[in-house]
Amino acid sequence: MPTLVSKSLREYRRSLIGWTIGIGAFFTLYLSIYPSISANPDLYGEMALAKYPGAMRDLMGGLNDFTSGAGYLQTMVYQLFGPMLFIVCAMLLANRAIAQPEESGTLELTMTLPIERKRLVAERFVALALGLLALAAVTFALVWLLSSLVDLGVPFDRILAAHLAVYLLALLAGTLTLAVGAAAGRRSVAMAVVGVVFAGGYVVETMGRNVDAISWLRWVSPFHYYLEGRPVFEGFPWGDYLVLLGATAVLAMTAVLAFDRRDVGV
Amino acid sequence: MAAVVETEGLTKFYGHRRGLEDLDLEIRPGEVFGYLGPNGAGKTTTIRLLLDVIRPTRGRMSVLGMDPRDSRVRARIGYLPGELALEGREKAGDYLDFLARARGGVPPEVVRDLVERLDADLSVPMGKLSKGNKQKLGLIQAFMHEPDFLILDEPTSGLDPLVQQEFLAMVREVRTSGRTVLMSSHVLAEVEHVSDRVGIVRAGRLVAVEDVAALREKAVRRVEFHFDAPVPREAFEGLPGVRELRVEGASLRCTIDGRPDALIKAAARFTVVHMVSAEPDLEEIFLTYYSDEEGRHADAGVKEPA
Repeated sequence: MPTLVSKSLREYRRSLIGWTIGIGAFFTLYLSIYPSISANPDLYGEMALAKYPGAMRDLMGGLNDFTSGAGYLQTMVYQLFGPMLFIVCAMLLANRAIAQPEESGTLELTMTLPIERKRLVAERFVALALGLLALAAVTFALVWLLSSLVDLGVPFDRILAAHLAVYLLALLAGTLTLAVGAAAGRRSVAMAVVGVVFAGGYVVETMGRNVDAISWLRWVSPFHYYLEGRPVFEGFPWGDYLVLLGATAVLAMTAVLAFDRRDVGV
Repeated sequence: MAAVVETEGLTKFYGHRRGLEDLDLEIRPGEVFGYLGPNGAGKTTTIRLLLDVIRPTRGRMSVLGMDPRDSRVRARIGYLPGELALEGREKAGDYLDFLARARGGVPPEVVRDLVERLDADLSVPMGKLSKGNKQKLGLIQAFMHEPDFLILDEPTSGLDPLVQQEFLAMVREVRTSGRTVLMSSHVLAEVEHVSDRVGIVRAGRLVAVEDVAALREKAVRRVEFHFDAPVPREAFEGLPGVRELRVEGASLRCTIDGRPDALIKAAARFTVVHMVSAEPDLEEIFLTYYSDEEGRHADAGVKEPA
């Protein structure tokens, strides 16, 4: 493995383990109460609808078949919470690639190694992709195991489709963080941009279905290429996933080129 | 042989702020070059330009005959940053291993030897290293791959005197083996004993490059004589090189540049009970350059980035 990839993965190890435990605990908690919800579908279905009126319901993905296995999985894991946890994790990890070491000054010594700048960013990107992949793989195995235990009744490939999308979203968020960090060298700027794109993108995608004024914005929301295809219900929307991957590739390229042409640590 | 560093009109502006302007610098193979100037004068800017951490606004430079943009040149450079930032839970030794691997491997006995010489403790996590140990780690990673060109930014800061001596010995060994060193400092005393030449940078401009031997010849020496009885001032007036003559009873104080021969012979006519001759104060000459430049660049208000 290239030196910087393995070095970055070593740096990520601790927080990756932490995030895996945290996200795993979150999923376990919510999936393990499913049996009591499926036992009283009328009660919990109404409670959910009463708790989230109107627009809030849109924000939670509709909540229409909240008490079915697929609906519950979508609402509690794959609608908002799962992606958001992954995105925040990706953002924090990606900031450790360039912006954070640049701000603290530790990047300077790395820059004076006989490693091309382009390669430096590229290897950091590979480490980010691998680190997130590990997190996604472990949590996927956990969700699949739990969903079998609580009889969620969602096929393996649907869960895989949804989990893959969460990974792709997180990778996109991480790569955007990396690109802004590589261009600006500031953690806060990178986090602000990712916050606007992903939090804003989520609102636009969910609310935009019923608000014509912003519905055109859905096309630029990353969440559009995940939620629109309803992978938990309908399987892999491959075209949408390719859009996410393509955007990631473009951002990764941007990160490499942006970092190659600027002053570092000024 | 071609110069190790050659710059022509090298200029760096940070926005409108001047970091360095029109630097023409030549560092010759096998020499130790002391790069002097107060904090914020442009020393670190120069070094970071040579390492391609920052890019020049204009001007030309070559390092070891190559464009610094070519990452291969950095394989032949060892660098100690002025403000070495090390943090995290990683053990200092593991970090050193990473740097060695990134440089394509380093003989472990060289590292072991350096660790012993500097008496460094590498078992500590980097975030918990003392300032001295940090600086030692910085020196080890700069020296370990036996680079052709060493760039050391304020190398002695944080080192205790014993380690400083060891470090200076290491620099001399590098010179003996025909390799080249660029060493920056804001205090001349830190570099004068190992440097062949010193360059003085002030407010973003190189104001002088001097041979250390020549500088020492120009140096002013303070001399003090104590006699067993009061001496007449007239006996010492007008001696070649003697200035700031003060005779108070049985003691005489003055400065002298050049040979002290005439003064010694004049003093020998009386009974000398005690004599003090201070090391030539290069710092004073150095400061003369500064004060000369002070007026000219007073308006610049240059500051180096942190």
